[in-house]
Order: sequence, then C-alpha cells, then structure tokens
Amino acid sequence: MTSSALPDFEDHATQEVKYTTCYMCACRCGIKVTLEGGKIRFIQGNPRHPVNRGVLCAKGNAGIMKQTSRAKLRKPLMRKPGSERGDGEFVEISWDEALDMLTERLANIRKTDPKRLAYFTGRDQMQALTGLWAQQFGTLNWAAHGGFCSVNVAAAGLYSIGHSFWEFGDPDWDRTRYFLLWGVAEDHASNPIKLGIDKLKRHGGKFVAINPVRTGYQAVADEWVPIRPGTDALLALSMVHVLLARKLFDGEYLIRYTNATHLVVDTPGASGDGLLLRNIKGHPLVWDVERKDFADGTLPEVRPALFGEYSAPDGRPTKTVMTVLAERYLHEEYAPERAERICGIPAATIERLALEMAHVAFEEPIEIECAWTDWAGRSHDRFLGRPVSMHAMRGVSAHSNGFQTTRAIHLLQVLLGTIDVPGGHRAKPPFPRHIPPPVKPAKDVVPGEPLKAPPLGFPTAPEDLVIDDQGRPLRIDKAYSWEAPLAAHGMMHMVITNAVKGDPYSIDTLLIFMANMAWNSSMNTAKVRDLLKQKDESGEYKLPFLVVVDAFHSEMVGFADLVLPDTTYLERHDCISLLDRPISEPDAICDSIRSPVLEPDRDVRPWQEVMIELAARLGFPAFVNEDGSAKYEGYRDFIVRFQKAPGIGFLAGWRGEDGKAHLRGDPNPNQWERYVENQCFYEYRLPEHMRFYRFANRDYLDFAQDAGFNASADPIVMELYSEYLQRFRLAGQGLYDGPQPEDPAEKQRLATYFDPLPFYYKPLEMQQINEQVYDFHAITQRPPFMYHSWDSQNVWLRQIVAQNFLYMNRKRAQQMGLADDDWVWVESRNGKVRVQLKLMEGVEEHTVWTWNAIGRQPGASALEPDANEATEGFILNHIISELLPTDDEHEFSNSDPVTGQAAWYDLKVRIRKARPREKGSWPKFSVMKPLPGQEAAAKVLRYHTHAPVKLIRSLKDIFTRN
Amino acid sequence: MRLGLVIDLDTCVGCNACAVACKQWNASGTSGPLSDYAPFGHDPSGVWFNRIRNYEIGDYPSSKTVHFPMSCMHCEDAYCVDVCPTGASYKRPEDGIVLVDPEKCMGCNYCAWACPYGARELDREEGVMKKCTLCIDRIYDTALPKEERQPACVLTCPTHARMFGDLDDPDSEVSQTVAARGGRALMPELGYRPVNQYLPPREARAVPAYDKGASLVDRVKHWVNESIAR
Amino acid sequence: MHPALSIVFFTVTAGAGYGLVVVTALVSAGIGGAQLQNGDILLSAAAGLVAVTLGLCASSLHLANPKNAWRAFSRFRTSWLSREAVLAVAFYPIALVWFVSVWLDWGAGVVAVFAFLTMILALATVFSTAMIYACLRTIPQWHTSLTPANYILLSLMIGFLGFSSVLAFGDGASGALLWSTLLSVAVAFIGKLIYYLKFSAPSGPSIATATGFKHATVRLLDVGHSAGTFLTDEFGFTVFRGALMILRILTLILAFVVPAVAVWLVIDGSGLAIVFPIALVAAYVGLLMERWLFFAEARHVVNLYHGTQRV
Repeated sequence: MTSSALPDFEDHATQEVKYTTCYMCACRCGIKVTLEGGKIRFIQGNPRHPVNRGVLCAKGNAGIMKQTSRAKLRKPLMRKPGSERGDGEFVEISWDEALDMLTERLANIRKTDPKRLAYFTGRDQMQALTGLWAQQFGTLNWAAHGGFCSVNVAAAGLYSIGHSFWEFGDPDWDRTRYFLLWGVAEDHASNPIKLGIDKLKRHGGKFVAINPVRTGYQAVADEWVPIRPGTDALLALSMVHVLLARKLFDGEYLIRYTNATHLVVDTPGASGDGLLLRNIKGHPLVWDVERKDFADGTLPEVRPALFGEYSAPDGRPTKTVMTVLAERYLHEEYAPERAERICGIPAATIERLALEMAHVAFEEPIEIECAWTDWAGRSHDRFLGRPVSMHAMRGVSAHSNGFQTTRAIHLLQVLLGTIDVPGGHRAKPPFPRHIPPPVKPAKDVVPGEPLKAPPLGFPTAPEDLVIDDQGRPLRIDKAYSWEAPLAAHGMMHMVITNAVKGDPYSIDTLLIFMANMAWNSSMNTAKVRDLLKQKDESGEYKLPFLVVVDAFHSEMVGFADLVLPDTTYLERHDCISLLDRPISEPDAICDSIRSPVLEPDRDVRPWQEVMIELAARLGFPAFVNEDGSAKYEGYRDFIVRFQKAPGIGFLAGWRGEDGKAHLRGDPNPNQWERYVENQCFYEYRLPEHMRFYRFANRDYLDFAQDAGFNASADPIVMELYSEYLQRFRLAGQGLYDGPQPEDPAEKQRLATYFDPLPFYYKPLEMQQINEQVYDFHAITQRPPFMYHSWDSQNVWLRQIVAQNFLYMNRKRAQQMGLADDDWVWVESRNGKVRVQLKLMEGVEEHTVWTWNAIGRQPGASALEPDANEATEGFILNHIISELLPTDDEHEFSNSDPVTGQAAWYDLKVRIRKARPREKGSWPKFSVMKPLPGQEAAAKVLRYHTHAPVKLIRSLKDIFTRN
Repeated sequence: MRLGLVIDLDTCVGCNACAVACKQWNASGTSGPLSDYAPFGHDPSGVWFNRIRNYEIGDYPSSKTVHFPMSCMHCEDAYCVDVCPTGASYKRPEDGIVLVDPEKCMGCNYCAWACPYGARELDREEGVMKKCTLCIDRIYDTALPKEERQPACVLTCPTHARMFGDLDDPDSEVSQTVAARGGRALMPELGYRPVNQYLPPREARAVPAYDKGASLVDRVKHWVNESIAR
Repeated sequence: MHPALSIVFFTVTAGAGYGLVVVTALVSAGIGGAQLQNGDILLSAAAGLVAVTLGLCASSLHLANPKNAWRAFSRFRTSWLSREAVLAVAFYPIALVWFVSVWLDWGAGVVAVFAFLTMILALATVFSTAMIYACLRTIPQWHTSLTPANYILLSLMIGFLGFSSVLAFGDGASGALLWSTLLSVAVAFIGKLIYYLKFSAPSGPSIATATGFKHATVRLLDVGHSAGTFLTDEFGFTVFRGALMILRILTLILAFVVPAVAVWLVIDGSGLAIVFPIALVAAYVGLLMERWLFFAEARHVVNLYHGTQRV
C-alpha cells in the first residue's frame, strides 16, 4: 500500500531493535523491543518465537510502564536501626555493606546449622540456579512457589502419565477436535492457549469449558459447564463411569502403554495388600491370555489380560488394575446421578459429554503416515490419534483434593487413548519422563557441606520422606513429612507460620526472592503480618533476620531487615533452561535467554549475579576453584561453562567448542552471543518419527537419554494405579514393611487419601465446617491483564482494574436482597472482609469470585495512599486460614494431604449486607512509608519517546471537500 | 480503498492486549502522547483509543459472555466529520481513514457527541480530540517488514481475533471472512455505515454422542479379554 | 449527558437576545401597528444585542482549545455549529445597520428592510443553534423537528416578555402586544409539553442493536475501566428519577405558568408593571432550567455500551 504525502512518522535511523524474553508473567514469550533515545518506543511479540509466534498479551504490551514504574527499588536498604520491623523505615546502604553483612551471617549459619537458612523463591524462573545454590549451601529449606501454586497438577501428571499440563505438555492444537478446559482462567500458558483456541475453532473443533465462572476462555467456549468448585474429580470419574459402562475405552492403548494389566494383590488387612504382583526380578506380572499363565509384564509380545481375577502362584488373590478400576468407577458412587447432586451438572449433560468425547475419539480418529519404531523394535507405519485433548490448572489444583482430581482427569485422557498422540495431549521435551522422575529429595544436612541430593524430588516410598527417626519433619515447611509426603514443590505458604511458631524448629534467616508473602501470596495475611513482627520473651524477633530480594516495592519489602534490589526483566541476563522450567513445544526442544535492552539507571544488581558472588564468597564447591578463588566471572560465564553432567549445561543450543553441537556438548565460549544473534532463543525441531507416542518411541527414548533428559531409555509405562501411593497407604494402615507414622491423624490421612486410584472426596476444610452457614464457595481468577500483585504499579494496566468486586449469581443475589454495588461482609471461619458486590449471570449459584491480588495495602507498590486498590480493593487472603480446624493439638496445614498444595479455593463463606454507613474495604492497614529518595507522584503522565509527527490537513482541503 | 478492522467475537477472550498495544504504539505515534491522569492515585484514567467492554447475553446457566473491543469504526458516512466546525475531523478519500488534525481542533466535543461508538476522547492536557488512526503511521511505513505494516492491535491479538484490510476489495481476507461468517456493523439503523465489522460467535459444531449399540455392562466379571500384544 | 453550564447560559441568553431582537425588529418594521418611540425600540434592541453578545462570549468557555476557535467558520457547508458561527457573525453588521437606521431615522422602508434581514438572521442563528443538537441521531430525544421548533418558540416567548417589560416601564404595552405575549407563552408551553410527553420514554436504539445480539437479554458485565473516562464524564450524567419530575414541573411553572399568569394579570388590569420583570426573571430562570434539563436528560447512544438498555 502506498499513500502520497505522508510524513516520516518514525525516525528509524535513530531507533534500535533488540530481542529478549518477556517477564510480565511466567509465559516467557519472545519479544522485539524498539528503542529510541535510550527509552522504549515499542514492545511487540517476536514473530519467529516458538512460544508466542508474534503475538503479545496486555501485560507484555505494558512493559514500558513496568520499566518506568515508580515502584522500582533503587538501592540496597537496611531497616533503620531502632525502628520496628514492618514500620517501613529504611536507610540506604551500599552493595558492599549489604553483601558483607549477608555473607557474614550466612557463613555463620552454614558452618553451624545450614537448615537455619530458609531460602524461598516466588514466581522466579531460575529454580535450577536457586535450587543449586541452596543445595550447595547445604540447607534443606529451599523451594520455589509451586507449593502454593500448582504442584497438584504437576505432581499428578508426573506420577501418572510422565508429563503434565503447561510447561510439561500441550494439547495438539493443530489437530485436536474436542477440547476440555478444566478450571483455567488466565493461567499458564497464556498466549499459547489463546493461539491454540483460535486454531481449534478454525478447524471446527468443539471447545467445552468446565469452570464455575464464564469469562475469558470460558466466554468463547462452545459449551460452558458451571461446576461447583472442588468437585471436578467426580465429574471426571462419572464420565469414566459412562465410558466403562458402555465399554468405550481404547483397550489396545491401555494394554500397550499403561499398567492397566498389572496384577494387584488383593489381601486386605495383610501387608503387601494393594501392591503389584512381581517376579523375582521385581518386574510386575500379568496374565497372558494365550499361554494362560503369568508372564513378565515388561516383555514385548506378551498378551496380557485386561480383566480378570487370578490366583497368584503363592496363592494370593490378584485382580488386574483394570478390574479394580472398573469395579470402583462402575459403582453408583460414580454414577452421573450422584455427580449431578454434588457437581451441580445435569446427569444427562455428563453422559452426553462423555459420549461426545467417545465419538470423536473412536469414530473420528486421525492418522499421520509416518514410519516409526516402538520400544521393542517393532515397526509401525503410522501414528494413530484420538483427537480429544484437555488442559487443567489452578481451578483444579488449588483444592485439597487437587492431586487426585488431576489424576482423575488423566485417567479419562488415558482411557480415551489420547496421551501423546496426534490430536491429543502431547508432552513437551524434556518430558515425558519416567514415573516419577528418579530424583529423591535430600535428607541429610552436614554443616559446611553441600546436600548430597537436590532439596526437592519425588518420593516413591515412606523411606524417601524427609523426616527424622521419630518421624518428625526435617524441613521448615514440613514438606515430605507424613503431613505432605509427595510435596514435590515444597510448601512455601507454611514457612513463616512454622518458623515463628518454632514448629518444627526456629530458623535464623529467611531469604525471600520475588514473593509477596506479606500480602497476596500468604494465607491468613493479617495474621502472617503479625507473626513476622512477633518477638520472644527476650525481645528478639522470633524470625531473627528477613532478607527480601525484588525489583519492585511491595508489602513484603516493608517487613524486610535487608532489601536487595533486583533489575527489571529488560535490564538483565537470564536463561530459561531445559534444566529448569522450559519453553519447549511438543515438536521442538526450546530454551531461551534474556539479554538486556537497557542498562539500569540506579544502584541495582541482577540477583543471579549476586547469588554467584555470594556462592563464591561462601566457598560453595561448585562455584570456587581448588584455591578458593571464584570459578566464574559472573552469571553469563556460569551459564556458559557450568555442566550439570558431562556435556549438559543450562543452555542446549550451539554447544561444543565450534558451536555446532545440539543439546549436549562441551561449553561453547561464544554460546551466549549465538543466542543473542538468534533473537535470544534456540529451537531444535524433532524429526517427525519422534514426535508422538514418545513414552514408547524407541528413537525418542534413546534420544532423550542421550540428551540427558532421562536416565534410561526404558519405555515409560503410564500408571493408572499408583503403587507408590499404595505404599504410603499401607504405612497409614500399619501394614508397611518400613517407616510408618505414629500419630493417629497422620495415619488416617494416609489411609484415606493415598488411594492408588483417583477418587473424589470433599475438600478437607469443607468436611469440618458447617456448610449450611458457610454456603458460598469463594474463589479468585487471575485477570488476563495483570499478574498477581505485580501490576497495580503499572499505570496503564491499573486503569483497566483498580478496584476489584465480588461477583455473585444475579438470581441468587436477588433472592438474598442484594443488589449491584452493595457493600457486603464476606465471612469465613477465619475472619471477615468487607467488599463491594456485582451481580452477573455467568457464575455458578453457590460461588462468588473476584480478580486475584488487586486489593493492596495503602502505599504499596508506590501507589498513593488513596489509590482504589487500597480504599476499595480487597484480597480474600485474610479470611483463608493456613491451618485446618482441629480438635486436638496437631494442626495440619490447609493443603492437599498428598502434595501439600495450598488449598486456596476450598474457602467457604457466608455473605451479609453491610450497614448503610459501612463502605470502603475492610480491614484497613497502615499507610506504607515511602522509601528513601521516593519522589512525589505525578498527577499527569505523558509518556513518549519522540515528539509526535502530526498529520496536517490543508486549508484547501477543509474548504473544498465535503 | 475502504480500510477497516474485522473483529471476531467468537475468539475474543477479553484479554485487553489490543487495547494496551494501541496505547503503547500511540504514546509515541502521530497522536501522542496519550495523557494518563492520577496515574498512581485514586481513580486512574487516561486517553485510550481502544477499549474492551464485556457483556452477558441471556440468563444463567445458558448465558454467554461476549468480550467486545471497540475503537473508531471509520464510518463511510462519518457524521463526526460533517459536524466538525473547524475541519479538524476528516475522512481520507484514498483509504477512508477518519482522522483528527490536532492543529485545527478547538476541543468543542461536537464530534464526540456525533459518534455513536465512543471512538473519540478528549486529551485534556492538549485540549484536542484523539482517536484510532488505523495506525496510519504503521501501515504505510515501508521501512517496516510487510507483515508488520498492520495496526498494532491486529499484530498483537493472541487469538487472531482482529483482521485488517480493504473491505472494498472482494478478494481480500477481510471481505471474504465477513462474507463467510456474516460479519455485521453495530447500530446500523443510525445510518453512518461503520466500516469495521464484527463477526458473531460461530455456531458450535454439533458432535454426535457415541451410540454404537454398546452393551451396558455393569458387572466386570462378565467382561471378555481380547488378545493384544503389548 | 453532562450539561456544560457555559452552553446552557449561552443558548438561553443569546436565544433570549435573538428573540428580543426579532420582536423588536418586527415592531420597528411597523408590524403590530403600534407607534412606538424610538427610545423603546433602541433600548430593547440594545438589550437584545447585549444579551446575544454575552451569550456568545460564554459559548467559547466550553472549548478545550480556544486558540483554534476562529477556525469554526470553516465548515459551514456541513456543520451546524459552523453555520451558527457564520450566521452569528453575519448577524452583527446587519443588526447594527438596522439599529442605526432606527436611531438615525432612515425612513420606514429602509428600517423595514434591515429589520427583516435582522430578523431572518436572528431566527436562522437560533435555528442553527438548535440544529446543532437536532441533527444528531446519537441522541434520539433531540433528533426531532420539535427541537428547533421549541428553541425558536422559547426564544420568541422570552423576546415578547422582554419587549413587554421594556414597554411596561415606558409607554406601556398595548393590548395586541400583551395578547401576543400570552399567546407566545401558551404556544411555547404546548410545544414543550408535547416534547416532554413524546420523548421521555426511551424509544431509540437499544443495547441489542448496539451490540448486535438481538435474541436474548443483553447486560453489561464490565465496562473495561475502573474509573471514569472522557465518555462517562461527558455522556454518563443522569438525573435522579425522583428529582427529574420535580425539576420538570418546576421548569414548566417558572418558564410558562408564572409568566402567563403575570401577563394575564396585566391584561386583566389588575397587574402592575412590576409583574413583567418578575415574569421575565421567572421565565429566564425557567429557561435556564429547561435548557439544563435538555442536556441533563439527554441519553447518548454510547451509554448503551456502558450498560443502559435503551436510550
């Protein structure tokens, strides 16, 4: 297109284009940044990037206002001597002072009792580095935020199918014909799901959304299923009931790729009950229907029985996994009629959805002609796909039954034969991995020494728990204890409570990176804030030293004793690694970096660089040479030269001295530059024959072993029945040949919830409260244009929402005499908050919801004290207890009993209208003091990088043309 | 040429990417800067050319939520052009884009009164009206790669719910999509003939329920094993 | 929508001035058969011109960028606002000539010619002002011929009241003048009443045609911004339903009933001259209220996008 007489609007000669990776959320889209005069002119999606392919969400587009945010920290800060923690009075100190102070303290902890350092990281994406650092320090007390985020979903997948949702796998958007979305608002992955939904609709797929609220993705779904929160397991399993009742499952798939044919020992009350029948080599046995005898279930060409009861050679009765499974789910406990009563979804709908999926799976399969070889060396000429896919996230995860619920969803997927097949849900490298990944969490702490294993891992038996001889937790968050055996991501939400109460023990220093634990990332926030300030009898803080590392001001910063300011995402080097939380696609192995587009204009340092410096100062073996000198010159040097195993480093691209090796190779000194040249990402496309059925695809399994993804090339057998869970259940029943809990409550939890098959149970807190009184479910959704509490500081984004409302079903509200904009009290067993109400149609009748993390303490994130976020906005966190109600002294955390996942959405409340003069949000908090050097807030902002080149209309045109 | 946007209500998830991309681009674009008032304070507001409004159609549980981006429709009979006393508001003959010349505008708000769609906002700091320019400072910029010579909102949309092109050209992607999906203008009875078209939500493909005479068996003991090799 | 007080003041005051000029010009041209002293005519004309000028000055107060106000004459071919500007300016030289012709006594013929020209320009200006609003399909309540009709009728009404006031303290108003004044009040009253009855209930576009979803209830879920915007500031203003009826009744009383009663009292013989200024002030205040309500009650279709069901 051309048009005459238009001026040159942009002076491209003075502009510079740089590429990097966004960090407005954890999606890690590739961005292209145009700079002008040292400022950002425009941020757009990188068209070549495998994650976002050129698109960018509202948050990514608002990067300018993040970069220019008033909330940026400027210099290391120390709590003003003589002031109280939480008063927010700070003095600026130099980096040298700060690091010297910290080094001295940490060195002391390390050589006496390393556990007294608790290092917990929030929404960071550097877990491979921070976890390595913690392991080298020698403390068990490290985790990222997964324990209060989505460990239920991650763990369920890793203990069932070898991958999971989000970073671990994706629906096959290009080919799927039926897609079920469970409990997802704006949740990971962000832009890829949006791209995917468009593709799905263009080729005529059906999209069903299961969610109590109809906004966002649910708005564009073809069918909305308004489910009651916390009941998704029953919906999934009643669909399983329907399929089983009509024998609609992929028998071949189950026989070949899962443990459906393994034999479960059926000796209730005896030790060994519920474990699998194994031969002397420890291999699971199956019943061969041709030979009519038991056979090694790991061998090819065995023809195992899917159903049946068989007497083991030693006389013990056994049943196939599939038999146990079918007996359970065909019971009327899982009939659609019962699901209707509990989930709130008509039985006819449940049946129809199940049968629609079955139709697509079995009547509309797709085939990709491609020669491939399976794990036993047999050749196939095509990939058969059953094009039904699913995705699930927080709406399922943030319940105390989320682990078993996600396992139920996976069961549904596996019965339909849709895991890692064309049109189904596909793994993303380095997944699929063996079930579970063969990493056990560290247990032993030796002062001055690194841990012998990483702080986090995947227990497979009670022996793997991180407990002492008396069965007491060794970790401050009690992860991997009898309370939460499979706490694969730790339990960050319990750290402050446990540390202050000294249960299981006290610590010295809590180092928090990028997590707003004094606000929206804690349960029982008002109480947690008080705990942070609690002192013992001698007048010392029960939590002696609190270090907060962040790029921006927040409520948490106000409680710090030491603040270390980080750079923004546009000012730093970073890597998004396969060792960490990768950005792969189903068809391609990918990783990426961040490369600075701007230099910081204040005295801040990237936290990675600081960590590496601290590691050197503290003498971590992996970070120092034999003479004690620093091994690495800084972060980039570390990333390029560090090897986790021979040839395996943080970045997979351009390895080898010549930069020509893929995935594995010697360090390439120019690796970083190669990434920058390639727009900061690396993409290795898998050949077609290695793209599907990877759990059984020999070429892929060999390749994955070579690349260091998996320790062996053995096929990955999906576990419908989890013997690992059964081991814990036996321990709870007193039938385990190994460590067992003593406490009756712990025993009961194991015996009940460690069911080797998925099942539905009412969330724990709901079992113990009066649901007639607390008759509403209260949940939150992440808005698509904000990420937790990161964006109220963003001038553009906060104009979209500066005050959040509580949304209620209109008819229900009218029955209660409530109207739009009424102020109401929302009360739980733990407390109450005052909020403003809005009515809507698209919310299930027994649920109220609000946008997550909008409400703020006055003055937080450098907002003015009268900002709507403080005067009218609210968070529900104050009324969510971090502990379950209890009759005795043993307090369990309000979490999933399997993984310890924080059960945010189990919250139940009652709603009452406030009195006429009761307006504005409540409780109220004190105004945060401005940090040293904080300038007054502008009343008007007019951001621009060059004076506008205006388009002028001629007077002639004005007078002559109509 | 009749340049305009096509917005797909079937895939818009209300993420606001287009609204912020527009704000971002135009901050330093030909209409910039776009003022923001009380940026860190109470009731923050500002000048935006593209806003996403959100509606519910019907009643629970059959209600549908529709996310609705709106920006200037670049109407064929743009009344905002007719009413402008100074001639600041005008429609380009070559491509139909409706613009405001900031050097002529006297800030009388009359054009905003004439616009049914709320496309125009006064920038109080400058006293002039501002609105979507269809990224005229992008679409003709030959220094940009061809695929990027599109409005910022179209380029960024994560569900590809926005399209840009010439609605006068029957072979253009936008024209064909409008014809195939039954795209429609808003408030057509006012007669201003908006050029931007909205695609209504698609009819869901009816998926049949599996009905192949499968026996309803509920006693697992009766189930027969097939002989299948692992 | 948000009533700009400067515009309310401008249209009422300038309208009053134009009305007064029209009535004065009519009389100066010999219509009505009265033989009046030049002094009354000139006083009346001057008052009218002053009112017009005051009003016009106020009108520029609502501009956000007044330095470009001089450009408002450019688009008279399509814009009623531009036409109003051109006519308002063209009015002055003709009105001044008419004024001088009366003052210097240039003869009945000349006076009549310039009187008619002045009248036409004055009426055309009032008409243009009204058309600024009436031409907008975006405010269905304004989009009716009743709008310019009412503007002109109200203008003439207050013109008659004004002229009668001037004469009341001079020669005294004649019977014909008084009856004409009463008639003008009655006709204006009827015009306004019809308007209130016909255009109160929303009958324009609905949220269904605004969004294109016609087969089920459409409700606003979220407007897309927490605080107000230019659009909500400008068009979101509404009058409380309870207050509305009261204000309308008060307007009708002040603008029409009080002046009618006052004029009737004078016709009846029982009213003193003083009732005219009272009637004039009541009418003026009543018209300010009427004009304020005209804007305040206006429902712009953009409100449909903010959740209003129908305008």
